[in-house]
Amino acid sequence: METKPDSIYRAFDRKASAIIEFTLRQYRTKTSTWVVLGVGFVALSLIFLIYIDVMGSEFESIDNDGDSTDYDNDGYPRGQELRLGTDPWDSESHPGLFDPPIEPDPVSMYINEDGFDWDITTQLGTQTTGMDDDGDCLDSNKTDSQKDSNNNGIPCDIIIEYFESDGKIYSNIYADSGVDEDPDEDAYSREAIHLAFVLSIGKLGFVLLLGIFLPLFLATGLIRDEMSSGTMHFMLAKPIARTEVFLYRTLGYLGIVWPYVIVLGILGALISGFVGPSDSFFRFADLGVWLAIIFATMMATLVYGMLFNALGVMWKYGIILAIPFAAWELGMALLSMGAPDAFLLRFSVIGWALMIVDSAAMLVWPNLDLFILMGNWGGGGVGSWNFDSSLDGAGPLGFFSSKPGLGLSAFSGTIVATLVLLFQAIIFWFVGGAIFKGKEIQ
Amino acid sequence: MIPDFDQQGKVETKEWVPEVAAPAVLLENVSKSYGRIFALSNITLALNGGVTGVLGMNGAGKSTLFNLLMGKLKVSQGSIKLFGTDPWKNPAPYARVGFVPEHEKMYDWMTGHGFVSTFARLNGLTRDEANIEADRVLEFVGLTDVAYKKIGQYSKGMRQRAKIAHALVNDPELIILDEPLQGCDPLARTTIMNVIRELGRMGRTVLVSSHILQEIERITEQIVILHQGRLLALGNLHSIRERLDKIPHRISIRAENPKQLAKDVIDIDEVFGISFPDGENISIQTHNLGAIHSQLPRIIVDNNHKVSTIDNPDDDLASILGYLTSGGSM
Repeated sequence: METKPDSIYRAFDRKASAIIEFTLRQYRTKTSTWVVLGVGFVALSLIFLIYIDVMGSEFESIDNDGDSTDYDNDGYPRGQELRLGTDPWDSESHPGLFDPPIEPDPVSMYINEDGFDWDITTQLGTQTTGMDDDGDCLDSNKTDSQKDSNNNGIPCDIIIEYFESDGKIYSNIYADSGVDEDPDEDAYSREAIHLAFVLSIGKLGFVLLLGIFLPLFLATGLIRDEMSSGTMHFMLAKPIARTEVFLYRTLGYLGIVWPYVIVLGILGALISGFVGPSDSFFRFADLGVWLAIIFATMMATLVYGMLFNALGVMWKYGIILAIPFAAWELGMALLSMGAPDAFLLRFSVIGWALMIVDSAAMLVWPNLDLFILMGNWGGGGVGSWNFDSSLDGAGPLGFFSSKPGLGLSAFSGTIVATLVLLFQAIIFWFVGGAIFKGKEIQ
Repeated sequence: MIPDFDQQGKVETKEWVPEVAAPAVLLENVSKSYGRIFALSNITLALNGGVTGVLGMNGAGKSTLFNLLMGKLKVSQGSIKLFGTDPWKNPAPYARVGFVPEHEKMYDWMTGHGFVSTFARLNGLTRDEANIEADRVLEFVGLTDVAYKKIGQYSKGMRQRAKIAHALVNDPELIILDEPLQGCDPLARTTIMNVIRELGRMGRTVLVSSHILQEIERITEQIVILHQGRLLALGNLHSIRERLDKIPHRISIRAENPKQLAKDVIDIDEVFGISFPDGENISIQTHNLGAIHSQLPRIIVDNNHKVSTIDNPDDDLASILGYLTSGGSM
């Protein structure tokens, strides 16, 4: 004759705050907590130091079109001789013989003298852009057909063609000779390496490394350690459901991990903001990406925390079960950079978390694709000795950046990925809670 | 529901309502087995009010019984009800239960007060209520002086008392203590025994386990004897003793003049044999321990004997178990 259903579901917040507070104080007393947090900090600091070092060094300026060289040793660079109509290969023909004679230009005028002026966006179809800054294409000595070597009827331009094949986007670049052929390596590479760094430390350092490493060492023992030491008896002798204990312990873990991730993320944003290339003293533009990195890492630590806590309940040596998961996630992280639309990624945590970062990058740096494209083209290798004309930084940036999967826009990509991650966390909570509920404790 | 962060508000009133007529503890044909090994077999027991001692050798099933009651283990057969509710399925009855586990490990980094008040909040108390209750129970077990010291600095007896305080913080109707006296110094032992007796006087149902008869004897007369997972005896310690008195029993006396003492003692009707194990002791055999104990003091005093000890070597758990298991079922 039960008059009312038996219920323990009351005073949630009091029990929750008691267990969360308790868990936080317990972490504070454990040396292992400080070791794990310290190691994470040192590891990221090292990467930041490397970044600061790279940003502090000069990127060698290359004369991509070879017009700064004085081949005939008459004291006049090739570019100047071509512009003024003398023979760059003949030491007896140079502007110094003109009346009145013309002084030789400084060599530096002919290095990095024609950079990118690409004023288009990434879209399917053919677009023309580019401008001949140094006048070596618009040269009055050239014929119209020489000025329009890509045959589109517009002299001195670049054709950029995006086309789709088998669901993938490819591009072709046809440039008129002498257009945007001598870009500024230092400006491009500094920017590209900065962007690549933000993406790589965000994706690998924060979301993957912190996202797995912190829960692996801090969440696996949340319930397991209490069970093996016998102290779980105190908590379970109270009118509280085991699924509640599981949840509140995990929340306590997040109470230490989330502030830690936020602090490290802000530190990263400050360092890259001050050190990165910028016209003003600070790169405000990147803050949106850092925000996404922090958020994605928080979501990853939430889902992995629930999962690893559950593995600890399942088996005393749950950390061994966690390692294959970590390996799988590492593989998925690499896969997401190469093939962000791969089907397998839907069965990972990291795939969704990285989608948040990719979405933010797409939103904050809308012309990232074009930027990578121009870096890979790198002026088209006008000087034939420069076989690989791509610029430093374009390769890594291309590797670390990818489009959010599922063909979603930046905004809906973030929403979908967040919902999926929350769903995963709830599933792991239920699974972990159910295992814990059925567990006999000696 | 807005989280009650300040924890000032009232506890919501939607509480678990126990069955009115149900006893605090009810076990029906409970068995717990691990594979083919039975840790407990076919226990039926109902307890309500008063202190009950659970006696048994190590491995008799005392801890298994308590872990079943506390929902840590699942019964293999039969049913367990605390206030009419199965604790494995629903931990709600623990609102009225206090449990002192046997495990030695505690949270050494917490203060006694912090430990008791933190776990009190798991009963749904606010922070303030928990602090007040913690002060109350710590005083009840005599730990007020060291309440704000780390548990790691406590002696074994203080640790046991802190565990008891933590179990009493919700003013429970059923208190389960697993070997609370183990490893305690005499002072702590006395304090803990007084606390348990006091709880019994307050009308609470108390279950306390031990493998030492004398300890239980000083706390309660109502005992349950477990042996190899079976319920061997249940009832008043006196009645069990009286039955024991009917079996051959020894009393060992250490005296200055054993031969003279033997001559005087042989006159008692109930004595059927005397032996001299060594020069200083005599050993009296009897069927009626009670009769000897009532006459012995008078004989010693009248004849001016110098006696240093009187021992009942058979009067311990092992011999009771020996008797009970050798066919003298109760």
